[in-house]
Amino acid sequence: MFLQEAPADTTIYMIAGYAVIFTVMVVYLVSLYLRRRNLEQDLEVLEEIGEGDS
Amino acid sequence: MEAKPRLLTVLDYITAALFLIAVGLVFLYAPLEAVMGNVQRVFYFHVAAGWVGMLSFLVAAIAGVAYLLRGNRKWDTVGLSAVEIGIVFAFINIVTGSIWARPIWNTWWTWDPRLTTATVMELIYIAYLMLRQGIEDPDRRARFGAVYAIVGFLSVPLTFYSARLFRTIHPVVIGTNDPNAQGQFNMTPKMLQTFMFSLLTFTFIFADLLWHRIRVGRLSEKVEQVRLKTLQ
Repeated sequence: MFLQEAPADTTIYMIAGYAVIFTVMVVYLVSLYLRRRNLEQDLEVLEEIGEGDS
Repeated sequence: MEAKPRLLTVLDYITAALFLIAVGLVFLYAPLEAVMGNVQRVFYFHVAAGWVGMLSFLVAAIAGVAYLLRGNRKWDTVGLSAVEIGIVFAFINIVTGSIWARPIWNTWWTWDPRLTTATVMELIYIAYLMLRQGIEDPDRRARFGAVYAIVGFLSVPLTFYSARLFRTIHPVVIGTNDPNAQGQFNMTPKMLQTFMFSLLTFTFIFADLLWHRIRVGRLSEKVEQVRLKTLQ
């Protein structure tokens, strides 16, 4: 019991790990949102062009 | 424009709630590991991200088989969506593993069988996306994607079993462990509960993201069809 060491201080690595996890997930979510928004805008423009031609 | 299904909105909320609870469990409920300290908490989402990566590649392989059998392009969209999500989560798995390894193995990286096979798996699926870009014809691209996803899936069991079959320093938390493994620990009941909850949460995250990504894929196809019609 007296020989038992305290846990290593590795908090900084835990923070780095979770920073990576949250950042990558947020970036992917934003990329999905932006791709969808851009496609919806493209579709609107194309439909307007189509209506203008007909 | 296709309206967002009510079930998807419900899934969004459930997934967000599960994620918040999982974060709470990791930081507030799971005990501090006696030797490694706080960095051990990375393990919960590190393994869960690896699980989602492998699950995604399994779904891509199944979608590949379905496409080859049915010839319906919706399966190509499912496969592509699953691969994209798999790459994101396998990346999280590899990077968080490297961060964990720095204080535990005293190195950011070593060409251990598990790390090597995980990296090869990631590169195989990045190549899938790159090679798809080079094929113009949608049917050919879908056929190629289907076959590639099925063959590429061989890298998944190889990665999973690499820590169990080869001499490795990578710990195996569930199952028998190589005596050379470094960073091994015994899970307490609270750790096990947090771990299982993280796996469940990430499974929901996968389902939610896959549904959203498929919707983006379908919209992209629709835009392409309208564009071709407008140009004619």
